[in-house]
Amino acid sequence: MNAVDGSDHYEAAVEGPSPSLLVIVLDTNPHAWALLAPTLPLSKAIANILVFINAHLAVNNANQVAVVASHSHRAVWLYPRPPSSSSSEDVEMTNDQPPKLDDANKYRPFALIENSLLASLRDLISTTAEKDVATTSTTQMAGALTLALSYINKATVLYSDTTSSSKPATNAIDAPENTTGLQSRILVVSVSGDLAHQYIPIMNTTFAAQRLRIPIDILKLAGDTVFLQQASDTTKGIYMHLRSPQGLLQYLMMAFLPDQMARKHLVAPTQEVVDFRAACFCHRKVVDVGFVCSICLSIFCSPPEGAICLTCSTHLALGDYGAKPAVVPRKKKKKRRVNGGGGDTPSARGTPVPGE
Amino acid sequence: MAPVPTIQGAAGYKKKDGTFSIAQDQKSIQWQPVGARDAEKVVTIAVANITNLQQTPEAAAKVMLKIFEKPPDASESVTHLFHFNSPSNPRGEANAIKDALTNLISALKANDANTPKANGATSAAMAIASAVTSKPTSGPARWYDDAGLKTDIELQQSLMKKDPALHRTYMEARRTKPDIISDSQFNSQFWSTRTNILRAHAVESHQKRGAYNVLSAVKPRQVDGELKMNISAEQVQLIFSQHPLVKRVYDENVPKLNEMEFWSRFFLSRLFKKLKGERIVETDGTDPTFDRYLDASNDSGLDQRLLGLHIPNIIDLEGNEENQGGSRGGNRADFTMRPGSAAKVPIVRTLNSLSEKIMAHVAPSDVDPADPIGMDEETFNALALKDLQGDAAENRIMLNIKEQSQFFANEKSAVSAEAALYAKQVPSEVLAGLRSDVNPMSIGNGTGRGLDLSSAIGVLEESDSEDERKTAHVGSKASLVDAQKQILEGVKARRLEIDGSSAQTSLAGLSQKIFDRLTLTHATTTEFLHHFWTIFLSGDPDRAGELAKMVETLERAMDRINAVAADAEKERDQVIARTKQDILDIYQRTQKKTKWDPKSVAGGEKVVKEMMEPTTRAIQKAMKEYKKALAAEGIDTS
Ligand SMILES: [Zn+2]
Ligand SMILES: [Zn+2]
Repeated sequence: MNAVDGSDHYEAAVEGPSPSLLVIVLDTNPHAWALLAPTLPLSKAIANILVFINAHLAVNNANQVAVVASHSHRAVWLYPRPPSSSSSEDVEMTNDQPPKLDDANKYRPFALIENSLLASLRDLISTTAEKDVATTSTTQMAGALTLALSYINKATVLYSDTTSSSKPATNAIDAPENTTGLQSRILVVSVSGDLAHQYIPIMNTTFAAQRLRIPIDILKLAGDTVFLQQASDTTKGIYMHLRSPQGLLQYLMMAFLPDQMARKHLVAPTQEVVDFRAACFCHRKVVDVGFVCSICLSIFCSPPEGAICLTCSTHLALGDYGAKPAVVPRKKKKKRRVNGGGGDTPSARGTPVPGE
Repeated sequence: MAPVPTIQGAAGYKKKDGTFSIAQDQKSIQWQPVGARDAEKVVTIAVANITNLQQTPEAAAKVMLKIFEKPPDASESVTHLFHFNSPSNPRGEANAIKDALTNLISALKANDANTPKANGATSAAMAIASAVTSKPTSGPARWYDDAGLKTDIELQQSLMKKDPALHRTYMEARRTKPDIISDSQFNSQFWSTRTNILRAHAVESHQKRGAYNVLSAVKPRQVDGELKMNISAEQVQLIFSQHPLVKRVYDENVPKLNEMEFWSRFFLSRLFKKLKGERIVETDGTDPTFDRYLDASNDSGLDQRLLGLHIPNIIDLEGNEENQGGSRGGNRADFTMRPGSAAKVPIVRTLNSLSEKIMAHVAPSDVDPADPIGMDEETFNALALKDLQGDAAENRIMLNIKEQSQFFANEKSAVSAEAALYAKQVPSEVLAGLRSDVNPMSIGNGTGRGLDLSSAIGVLEESDSEDERKTAHVGSKASLVDAQKQILEGVKARRLEIDGSSAQTSLAGLSQKIFDRLTLTHATTTEFLHHFWTIFLSGDPDRAGELAKMVETLERAMDRINAVAADAEKERDQVIARTKQDILDIYQRTQKKTKWDPKSVAGGEKVVKEMMEPTTRAIQKAMKEYKKALAAEGIDTS
C-alpha cells in the first residue's frame, strides 16, 4: 500500500487552502510520438511536464501528483510506481550509478518524482514489443482515465479520513483541519487522434468525473479527438489544442496550473467550439446523422440489420427511414429537375388558410 | 393453421407461468401452465360465462386481467386473475386479449338480445360489457394516436394560436414551400415532426381546471374609502358550493339587501374572516346581519357522505379506534387533529376542511365505470400485506445487453487520417527512436546528477531572438510567445462569451427587424431541412419529384439568407453614412475632427453569415448528399 501514496514525504499544511491532487494522463502512443519527434520529442515533453509538476507541488506543500501512461496496449502507472513492479528501484538503474537523490541543487521531492517517473517511462518503453506497436495505432485512454479516477477516489477517501488515526500501513496524509477536501483534477496530455472505438468507456469516465466534479483538462499536442473535447466540456475542464507545441511549457504554466479554487476567479482560456458528435456503436465512426435505439439509446450509423437493436435486441419500428435514397422516379427517366431553381417565386399563389 | 390467428400471451396464474390463449372456436379461453402434460391443470373458461373484465390501468407497472366467471348453475361468480408477464410486451398482449374478449362478449350479447333476460344479473353484465367495449374509442386513447394528432386540424389551430412563433414558422414555411407539395402533404409533414407538442397540447387543453379556494382568490381593494371588487358569476357559484353557509345567508337576506351591498358587506364581515380561517380580532367591525351566522355550521353534510364511504378497514383509523380502546389508549392526537375548538387553529382547520370539500367535488378520473363497487384491484394490491407473500415475481422489461465488441462489424473499414499516418511508419524504427529518446544519456540524467531541467526545457537565457528564429526548438522564444498569444486569445474569446450574454449584444449590431427576419428565415429553413431528410430517407421513388422540388426550395432558402445578409449590410452602410455625416457636421461647425473607425459598427452581412453558418452548412450537406445520390444513379449534376 505504501507506494500508492504520492505525497508521503511532504508535510501536510495544517491550514490554508485545501491541497490539490493533479493526475496527469500522458498519452505515450509510440506512433504519435514518432510523428511528433521532429517538433517535440517525448523526452523534451517530459522535461516540460516535470517543470510543471514541480510548479504544482511548489504551490502548496500538501499538493499531490500522480502520472498515468496511456500506452498502446495498456495503461500504466508512471508515478507513483506500483509496488508489484518486478524490478525494484536499484535493478533498473543497473548500468548507471544510482541517482543521487540528495543532490544539493535539487529539492528532494522534485528529484524523487523525476527519478521515479523517468525510470518507469524507460521501463515501459523497453518492455514495449515491436508487435505491440505494429498491431495497434491507438492508445488506452479510457483505461488510463479509469485508473486516474480510481486513484483520485482513493486519495480523496484517504484524505478525508481524519478520524481513523491509526493507519500504519499508509503513510497517512495528515489531513488538515479544513473540511473542503482534496481538490482533484485530471490533465490529459494527448497526442493521438482517433479514439472512436473507445467512445463508450470514455464517455462513461467523463460522466463519472462530472459527477465527482473532477475537471478533465485536455492538452492536445497532435491529432484530434471529438470525445476528449466533450470530456473537458462536460467536466468544465480546459481544452487546448496547441498551435505551437514547442511552447508547451508556456501553455502548461499559464493555462493549466491554476487549480479549481483559483479557476473560480479566473477566465479559463478554453476553446469555445465543442464538437458534440457521437460515434456509432456498430463501426465506431463519428456520425452527424445517426439512429438511436429508443430503448437503450445505442447509436447506429445506419439502421441495424432487421431493425433489431444490436445492443438490446429490441425490435425497432423504423418507419420509412433509412432506405436508400431514391432520387429518380420509378420507370420514366426524367430530366426536368435540372434548372428551375431561383427563377420562379413561390409567393405567386395565395396564402391559404392552414389545414385545408 | 386456422384462418383466424390465435391470440395468446404469456401470463401467470396462481403464481405459475403459463400461456393464455383464446380457443380457435372463440367459445372459450384457456390458460395452460408451462410444461403441463396433463389437461387437468389447464384452466378453461367459457366466454359465455364471463360476466366482467377488469384490467390494471395503462400506466400501472403490472399488467393484470381479472375475469369474472359465473357459470349458469352457480350462484356466486368466480374471479380469475391473470398476470401478463411476457418479457417483451405484456401490455400489448393483454390489450389484444382484452379487446378480442370484449368483442366476443359483446357479439354474444348482441345475438342474445332478443331473448328476454331471466334475471337482472345478466343484463348488468351486458351493460358492463358494453362499457368495456366503448372505452377504447374515447378518452386518453386519442392522445397516443400519432396519425390522429397529425390530422386534428382544430387542435393544430389552437396550438398555433397559443404559440405565435410556431404560427409564424408555419405560415412562412407554407408560403415558401414548393408548389408540387400539396397543402395536406405539407401539413402532415409539418406536424409529423411535432406530434409531441401536439400531444402535450391535447392533454393540456383537455384537462379541466379544478376548484380552488375561492375566498382567498377574491381580493377586495379599498379605493377612496370604498370597497371595490370584481367577482364573477363563476366565483359566486364556487363560494356557494364551498361554503353552504354563505348560500344560506344569501338566501335569507338578499331580497332585503341588494346584491352589491350583500357582497361588499360580506367581504368586510367577521363571517368572511372566519370562513377564510383568519383570526377575528376585537377591532374588526361588526355587522349584525352577518354576525348572526358566526356560530352556524358551514357543513354541507360532507361528514355524512364520508361516513357512508366504504373505507378498507386496514386504513380506517376510526375502525382501529374501536379495537385499541378508542381515545382512552395510545398517544393523544395532535392538537390540530382533535375535534371541536375550531377557534384554536382556524387556518389549519379551514384549509383542511376546504381541501376535503374540494376533493369531494372532483369526480375521480381514474375510476373505470365498469369496476364493481368497493375496493378496486389497485387498492387491493396497495393494501395487501406483501411482505408475507414471499418474493414478488420480477416484473420489468429485460434489457439483454450484448457484448459490444462482438458487433465490431469491420473495424478497419474506416481509417482515420491519423491512423493512415501511423500505418506508414515502421514499428521497429518507431520503437528504436523512442528508446534512444528516453535513453538516460540523451536526456542527461545518466550522469547520476539527475536531470538538468533548465537545459532540458530548452530555454536559453542568453540567446537573442535573432538566432532563435533560425533554429526553432522546444522552448524557443518564438514558440513561447505564440503560445502566450493563443492562450490570451482563448481568454479573450471566453471573456466575450461571459460578458456578451445581454440582450443587446446578442443582436450583434443587427436591428431588431432584421434579426426577427433572420429568426424566421432560420426557422423555415430548418423546417424544410426536416422535410428534405424525411423524403430523402424514405427511399420512396414516387416522391423523387417532390424531393427535387425540396432541393430547389433549399436553394431558395439559401437565397433568402443571402437577401437578409444583403439588407443587413445595407443597414450597416446607412449607419456608417449617418455617422460620417454627423462627423462632417461637427467638423463644419466646430472645426474639430472626430476620430472614428467605421469598423467599430457591428452588424452587417458578416454577422448574418456568422449566425447562419450552421444552417448554411446543413443546407450544403443536404445538397451534397442529394447530388451524391444523383451521381450514384448516373445523372450528371453539373
Ligand atoms: Zn456504424
Ligand atoms: Zn437498443
